[in-house]
Amino acid sequence: MDVTFKIRRRTPDVPDQQKPYWQEFTLNEVEPTDRVLELLHRIKWEQDGSLSLRRSCAHGVCGSDAMRINGVNRLACKILVRDLGEKIQVEPILGLPVIKDLIVDMKPFFDHYKQVMPFFVNDEPLPADGRERLQTQSDREQFDDSTKCILCACCTTACPSFWANEQYVGPAAIVQAHRFIFDTRDQAGDERLDVLGEPNGVWRCRTIFNCTPACPRDIEVTKAIGEVKLAIRKGSTDGIIQPDAIH
Amino acid sequence: MTSLVLTVRETLRYRGAIGQWSWVLHRLTGVGVALFLALHVIDTSWAVFYPDLYVKAIAAYQSPIFTIGEFGLVFAVVYHAFNGLRIIIFDWNPQLWRHQARAAVAVLLLTCILLAPVFLGMLGHVIDFYVHESAIASHKMLDVVVFSILEQLPFIVGFVAVLAASIVLAALYSLVRGEPGAQSRQLSSSPVEKFWWSFMRVSGIAIVPLVFGHLALMHVIQGVFDITAAQNVAGTLAVNGEIGGVPSAVEFVFHRWSYAAGGVFVWRVYDLFLLVLVVLHGFNGLRYVLTDYTSGHEFARRTAVAFCTVTAAVLLALGAAALFVPLEKKIIEEAMFATAEVYELRGEEIPPELQAYLNKHDE
Repeated sequence: MDVTFKIRRRTPDVPDQQKPYWQEFTLNEVEPTDRVLELLHRIKWEQDGSLSLRRSCAHGVCGSDAMRINGVNRLACKILVRDLGEKIQVEPILGLPVIKDLIVDMKPFFDHYKQVMPFFVNDEPLPADGRERLQTQSDREQFDDSTKCILCACCTTACPSFWANEQYVGPAAIVQAHRFIFDTRDQAGDERLDVLGEPNGVWRCRTIFNCTPACPRDIEVTKAIGEVKLAIRKGSTDGIIQPDAIH
Repeated sequence: MTSLVLTVRETLRYRGAIGQWSWVLHRLTGVGVALFLALHVIDTSWAVFYPDLYVKAIAAYQSPIFTIGEFGLVFAVVYHAFNGLRIIIFDWNPQLWRHQARAAVAVLLLTCILLAPVFLGMLGHVIDFYVHESAIASHKMLDVVVFSILEQLPFIVGFVAVLAASIVLAALYSLVRGEPGAQSRQLSSSPVEKFWWSFMRVSGIAIVPLVFGHLALMHVIQGVFDITAAQNVAGTLAVNGEIGGVPSAVEFVFHRWSYAAGGVFVWRVYDLFLLVLVVLHGFNGLRYVLTDYTSGHEFARRTAVAFCTVTAAVLLALGAAALFVPLEKKIIEEAMFATAEVYELRGEEIPPELQAYLNKHDE
């Protein structure tokens, strides 16, 4: 089958390409099972070498090829042509500065990520056997979902609150914080709740639910944000996650 | 401003699911109701302070433009109420999130189901007014519409004045506090935002029965046209016109706020609760909307916060003043000349009782 691509292009450092513009490409002999990333490669390799995009593993693990495809944030390496049709529109994700074509500057995104201290904090000495800090299976399940995040920014750049206000910490950073806040072994939960309780923290979330379907890892993003809000309101994580809610 | 333009454009372009459109509608209906609330609180306070202006404000509300607006208002309140309850349910029970899309559809369905009989009732009042009473002569229709638009000019001036005051306040605040430097980048939990988050949800639940009761009484059972009709004032034992000779909007308010059951001014208490909750909920909501789109510009953000704060303070002060002032019968007399003007504007014959009153006081 033939597929028409419409790609949003922009080269801020070339004077006459500063304004974004749409460029069309047609590809022949496309299989319905082809992934969008492969087709973008074909465009770059066969038709226009100047097309710029970011990708690394190409298998939905590294999270570097998030794009707005047919209006919705997805990973180009995970979405198949058969799920999109013969007309495919590709744009950079929204809310981060465009460097070139489909490549955005992820620095603001990672700055928010760093704010929530996305690392394990526990200053107590190791248990007597000197091996690992144990926890029960149900304690581990509390944050199981939020460990799946690959920091692709699909959720954060699907959020109307983030589009409007780049100072909003955004869904991805909250999910990353959730992973440690609800970890019984971690000791910096209060500091993270403090960071997320500030005016541009969780309170900018309007429960719009754009982030949840945008996640290529099927993380329950809005639920995680909601649990963090309730923990801040209560001042503690006790009893926030209902045991029966864990599948 | 670029942020607002970009966000609006891209919100329309992003193919978000139903939750995104529910949010758009929630914002639009919220801002719409908040703006109407400002007009409504101010002109209702006129019933006590400037009776003649209140008569004209109600005459403007009885014009075709506001009749269309009233249907929009009732839709906005009902949708905002149901969608707000949906948001509260999922904010307080995040584990239920899988049902949110279905809940958003249910909100739309419930809104339609409730609005069908409500709109029919409201339409009944409109038909009574235009067809059965022929209250506005057809050659006067244009005059009435122009009048109802001109009546809103003072509000526009008022909004501009509050905006100017907000800019001054924001400038003063910036002089005192300075621009946000390194020290204010210190991230720390905001008890204020936490309070407002809970307040919006608790007040939202409390407002729903209050505002639905208010709408039922003032828009469905007795519509805005009945405020000037010679009939029993709903929720009281009095009949409009028994003091002034002819019914007037001011006398309607007089009877409502004078009605005491067991020593309690029922409607004043009711309206006070409604006023406080709705003004705080509405203008904190407006602050959310405005600060979302001005966060990149500190001065604009401070102006937006000042605007919401000043407006809410003015409305609370004015509304509370009107509710607490002792009512005097002379406000009804003061409304008579304006009532005659409205008759004239609509090309209606002035009733003999009113003519007699005018003749007596014409010196």
